[in-house]
Amino acid sequence: MNRLYGIPEASTELGWDIGLPLILALVLFALAVPIWVSLGFAAIGLLVMTDVLPLTLFGESLFSGIDTFALIAIPLFILTGDVLVRSGLSGKLLDVAEATMGSLRSGFGTSTVLGCGFFACISGSDAAGAAAVGRITYSRLVESGYPRPYAAALVAAGSCTGILIPPSIAYIIIGLVLGISASTLFLAAAVPGVMIMVSIMLTNVVLNRIHGYERSDLRFNFKRWLRAVWDGKFALMVPFIILGGIYSGIFTPTEAAAVAVVTTMLIGLIQGTLKLEDFPKMLESSAKVNGVIVPIIGFALPLAQALAALEVPQTFVQSITHVTDDPTLIILMMLGIFIIAGCIMETTPNIVILSPIMLPLAQEIGMNEIHFCIFMVTSLGVGFITPPLGLNLFVMSGLTGETVLAIARRAVPFVVSMLIVVLLLAFVPALSTWAL
Amino acid sequence: MRDILRHIDRNGERWLLLVFYSFIVMAISIEVVRRFVLMYSSVWGEETARYAFIYLVWIGASAAVRERAHIRIDVITHFLPPKGVALIYIFGDVATAILACLAIYWSIDPVLVSYKFGNVTDGLRIIRVWFLVAVPLGFSMMMVRLIQSIYRDIGDLRAGRPVFTGNKLFD
Repeated sequence: MNRLYGIPEASTELGWDIGLPLILALVLFALAVPIWVSLGFAAIGLLVMTDVLPLTLFGESLFSGIDTFALIAIPLFILTGDVLVRSGLSGKLLDVAEATMGSLRSGFGTSTVLGCGFFACISGSDAAGAAAVGRITYSRLVESGYPRPYAAALVAAGSCTGILIPPSIAYIIIGLVLGISASTLFLAAAVPGVMIMVSIMLTNVVLNRIHGYERSDLRFNFKRWLRAVWDGKFALMVPFIILGGIYSGIFTPTEAAAVAVVTTMLIGLIQGTLKLEDFPKMLESSAKVNGVIVPIIGFALPLAQALAALEVPQTFVQSITHVTDDPTLIILMMLGIFIIAGCIMETTPNIVILSPIMLPLAQEIGMNEIHFCIFMVTSLGVGFITPPLGLNLFVMSGLTGETVLAIARRAVPFVVSMLIVVLLLAFVPALSTWAL
Repeated sequence: MRDILRHIDRNGERWLLLVFYSFIVMAISIEVVRRFVLMYSSVWGEETARYAFIYLVWIGASAAVRERAHIRIDVITHFLPPKGVALIYIFGDVATAILACLAIYWSIDPVLVSYKFGNVTDGLRIIRVWFLVAVPLGFSMMMVRLIQSIYRDIGDLRAGRPVFTGNKLFD
């Protein structure tokens, strides 16, 4: 608006009427109030104190905010992950991974990460991947010679690929908030996601060299590999259907997710690994995960709308560009904000609240919006294995009985290697935009 | 009568969630098949799936309250004695209840307006009230769960039992 009149100053000051509701949210977070409730109070507080939008918007947005076809992909991808596990298809994927990578010195460790990557190509969420892969591989990783907390950290890090390799719930949400097609983002995210996976594999290889955890004596055997691939043919077919369908434009992500659910269910039923009586349990637990994630979006959206109406993003851009206009510094600063946000918050609210604020800043330094999405989601992805709120750490801690801090300590090298990839992605836009 | 109530208490959300979830999966899959085989899309497929999704979300949120599964930053509970933990959970539930009341209050308004003017949906031309009511309904179910939960926690607090800290989301 201001640009129209050539006035550089923003019309709003970042005063107490905006600050207080946000501080209220932080206090409620610290008091262990559910995240969506804290965000809801912040949104109401902001609307009451600034009068920028009518309060009725609040009630309306709980319906119309989530009344989007794209969001239906979330429960469907969650369900796909659940079906993969219960039908035993995830085990097949791991077998293929092991036959592919098992002959390396760090054979089983590397295969585990590759298995996480396979899982990520089908399921769009990431904690489900950590739980699924961890349950199958953890005890074998320990048998192979990895210390317990390290094995847990490896699975936690590998599962970060869940939201980084498409399909991914995180890219669906950021696409919804910024108005970018999720299919485009999925295409752009393919290389960055695989890069993160490879960086975790390499870190494991190096650490294994130094500490001598595992010494695999398997030889690569093409026949064995073929057999594993043949056994896992149905499971391997699913990513082709999903990603092939989305990339070629046959399906929207939501439709692809529905097709994935039905295909995995049919495979499970035909192979006899899934029974009809498993269905209610599966649907119920997935519905609960959905009921945890989507309300966060529902309440973060009005908050983000109110912040936008108050021109907080513009004010933010101006206050930053007053200090510096060096693109390198600004990128590093954004990275810092994303990492800190990823440490203290869950990915979903971070995306909904921060992406509209940070995008103008990114555009100010000439960053393409798709490049920005990849940069942001990948940076936030690191937050899955950083305390205090690293979701994967919690899942693995619950699964293995190791403390969150013990796992987090072993996860530090993985955090570092992921950060290196994030910096590469930030400064080499071609890695995200080559396919477009 | 008692048995019926108990059955609803145990399975209320479950049945609704099953119905809406299966409906979403079937509606969208049928839509995809229809587009490939019959080369046309229906008016109702996408629309009804979207509305079923909204029911799924808010009823699922209620189910998650019952299981205490909502994501929270619970670092503070590691530093508190059991009584303090109980108070923190009760506080969280009371805060949720206040927000749920506000959400019911503000979301009933669009329902009443829509009822008064007989708004219909874009595709199917059904009265929109049936779908708008998903939000107040979900939050009302949540209120019931919250009252149950607060009642249980206060009982635990009085008896000195450790408070229910929730089932794991991913077992």
